[in-house]
Amino acid sequence: MLIEYYPSESYVHRLDIRTKALGFFVITIISFVFLSPIINLLIVFCTCVILFTIRTPFSGIKKILKPLLPIFILMLLITGFTYPASNFTSEANQRTLFSLGTFPFTLGGFLYGITLVLRIFIMVITSTIVTYTTPIEDILQLLKKIKIPHQFAFIITTGIRFIPTMQKKSEMIQEAQKARGAEIGKGGLIKSVSSYITVLIPLIVDSLRMADNLAIAMLNRGFGAMKTTTDLNEIKMRTRDYLICFTEVILIAIAFWIRSKNIGGL
Amino acid sequence: MFETLERGSLQVDLLRFKYKNSLTDIFNTLNFKIEKGEFVGLMGRTGAGKTTAMMLLNGLIPHFLEGEFEGNVIANTMNTQRYHIQTMARFIGLVMQDPETQIFGITVERDVAFGPSNLAFGKEKIKEVVSKSLKAVGLEGYEKRITSELSGGEKQRLAIAGVLAMEPEILVLDEPTSELDPVGREEIYKLLSVLKKKGEVTILVSGHDTEEMLEYADRIIVLDNGRKVWEGRPSTLFKDIVLTKKNGIRPPEVSEIGNCFQKQGLLDQDSVFINKNEFLQFAKNNFTSFKISNNGSEKYYSTNNNPVAIETKDLSFYYQQKNSVLNELNIKIYKGEFVALIGKNGAGKTTFSKQLNGLLRPTNGAVFINGNDISQLTTAQLSKEVGYIFQNPDHQIFSATVYDEVEYGLKRMNLTETERSVRINTALEFVGLEKFTNRHPFTLGKGERQKLAFATVLAMEPKILIIDEPTTGQDWDGTNKMMEMLDKLHRQGHTILMITHNMLLAAEYTDRVIVFSNGKVMLDDPPEKVFYESEILKAASITAPDCVTIAGELRSAGYKNYPVTINELQNDLLEQLARKENVNRVLPFGKLRS
Repeated sequence: MLIEYYPSESYVHRLDIRTKALGFFVITIISFVFLSPIINLLIVFCTCVILFTIRTPFSGIKKILKPLLPIFILMLLITGFTYPASNFTSEANQRTLFSLGTFPFTLGGFLYGITLVLRIFIMVITSTIVTYTTPIEDILQLLKKIKIPHQFAFIITTGIRFIPTMQKKSEMIQEAQKARGAEIGKGGLIKSVSSYITVLIPLIVDSLRMADNLAIAMLNRGFGAMKTTTDLNEIKMRTRDYLICFTEVILIAIAFWIRSKNIGGL
Repeated sequence: MFETLERGSLQVDLLRFKYKNSLTDIFNTLNFKIEKGEFVGLMGRTGAGKTTAMMLLNGLIPHFLEGEFEGNVIANTMNTQRYHIQTMARFIGLVMQDPETQIFGITVERDVAFGPSNLAFGKEKIKEVVSKSLKAVGLEGYEKRITSELSGGEKQRLAIAGVLAMEPEILVLDEPTSELDPVGREEIYKLLSVLKKKGEVTILVSGHDTEEMLEYADRIIVLDNGRKVWEGRPSTLFKDIVLTKKNGIRPPEVSEIGNCFQKQGLLDQDSVFINKNEFLQFAKNNFTSFKISNNGSEKYYSTNNNPVAIETKDLSFYYQQKNSVLNELNIKIYKGEFVALIGKNGAGKTTFSKQLNGLLRPTNGAVFINGNDISQLTTAQLSKEVGYIFQNPDHQIFSATVYDEVEYGLKRMNLTETERSVRINTALEFVGLEKFTNRHPFTLGKGERQKLAFATVLAMEPKILIIDEPTTGQDWDGTNKMMEMLDKLHRQGHTILMITHNMLLAAEYTDRVIVFSNGKVMLDDPPEKVFYESEILKAASITAPDCVTIAGELRSAGYKNYPVTINELQNDLLEQLARKENVNRVLPFGKLRS
């Protein structure tokens, strides 16, 4: 779903996970403070600049956004029709662009719809920046710092570790079934769904067997031998992290101050 | 009962063990002892109890796999009943069979560190043991690699490194080589012997690798049916052809000749050869000048007059443009041929086979089955003509009974109920599962599930069969039974393609051997020719059967034939002896002077 971590030495890669997490929240909050699409567009632009400079593959982001497209259009339509003129302070936004029967489509509603879409954009982009630049171990460290039990963190890493394994298994099973005449995912709805059963059952049976072996292997590797485990590299806040965190706090303060002057509304 | 035990030693004194829901005892009196610093091999047929015996050693039995347990297992001076498995794991490293489910880290380095960090080793200590164990298994420089992208052999070595990093005094490995090609297999045993030589660990390893056990193990323990049936030096075991065969263990290639000579009174008792070099010495000393006729070279097969079953034209395939997996292959396979595809892992054998039933499609070129271009046919449509049997039967079994499982493919073929039932019963009878028709497939043993998978394909009556490593992970009995079935199908006129790492099988059963290397065909000839191309085979990392090397060495004595199985060589030697001329010694031959 999200773009996976890719090791590199970019300036964002070198930041502490906490700085990045705070940045993610700050940007998200700012985008929610302002209703105006212009300011949100500005934020999209700024985050895109970061995305560009750390060389994130754009194709991956396209893959995330593409299935959301119908939802975006639906959002624009719904907000346009359902937001009555009285919701908007500026006169221009109260204007009705056209009406469908008795339902007026307001400019303000349309712009608000754009803002909603842009907010999703912003969240996709910022979360991509975080996942692309942060190894899973750092995220686990963060979980540990906020006192989430170590076993829980272990479940997450093991889960991630087994994604490619399960994908490969599922491919192998599909091949085996096709080779004996199964037409997987073809035919009518019921036929195509039931054809997946031939893949699912071996996959589940195999997973159960793997889970058993995994439990044995965990014991063989001393899992749970001690109350604590050794962390290999601790996450560390450096000067640049403190500086950036400080800037992030200032930014959010400025955003609230501007908003209080009634700028950036609709 | 407990003499003073040394650290690094193992002692099993088990009266009996039975799994919780099982009806029968897995073990009934099992006693064995392993001294510190020994390298012991655990052998026996599949299902003899090797894996279960290994799980006794660190307390997985009875703590994790519960049951009725009577007796004592003392590992590294610790009684397994009194310690947690995790505590035992610090001293007894257990590497299970499937490396995939023993890798926890996303990167190699993290995975190796998993054990030591569970044991709360210090950070500096962990760094040290990680690099030390990666070096020990030959994976230095792999620290940052993603574990899921490693090859099978690398994963196996990583699994060993992960256990070594906990600095165990005893290392126990369950069939570490079952999924590897001969090169990878040799590497694992070499690695173990280096560890042993350093004197740091006691090693217990199970497997079916006759030659390697003979070369590296100090002692062999043979299990059968949950009992220890034999223990002693590997050379003694492998000399006793009756004993090995009884326990489903493949005897070394050359031991057959020695046994045959002995039976005919040509050789002293206890001078059976088990080692290639020993036999070679004997043969050179005693057969100095061959007079027997040359029967080999004309045996090369005259190109078949049969129609072409499979043809590829300029077949190329790649995932990424830069590295092609298959490179312009032009191969013609005639109807009724039994062809072996050999080459090391990653050479392109499986990728090539998958082109033949449309599981993969050529990037360039075309594939013809019985003269028809298959590019417009789906794999499902091709399944009636090309049967493909995969390595792991569990990837296809999903029905509730054996009968239904076989019926699944047939339901797509417009057959009447009776036609289907005839085909199902014929197929099940062929593989020997006719008694299990109504059983649930997962209550069958692994070997039987493999037969079931075989039956599901046979029932569709394809004329061409592709079999991917049919004997991997099987014991000698299983291998022989599988090959008998293939041989029978071959004689019935099926065209068979077999991917294999087992050169003895390729030599004994097939008409033709195709050697793959880097997506290209290096050799494509009958075994009598292929196995004598030593230079090319070496480049493709393939070791020919021992009899080929021996025949090569006997050339100077005037030997002119090209045997590919030990029986052919044996017959030539017997024929030469029958002439009773130019043989140095008076019969029977004595033991070799060493």
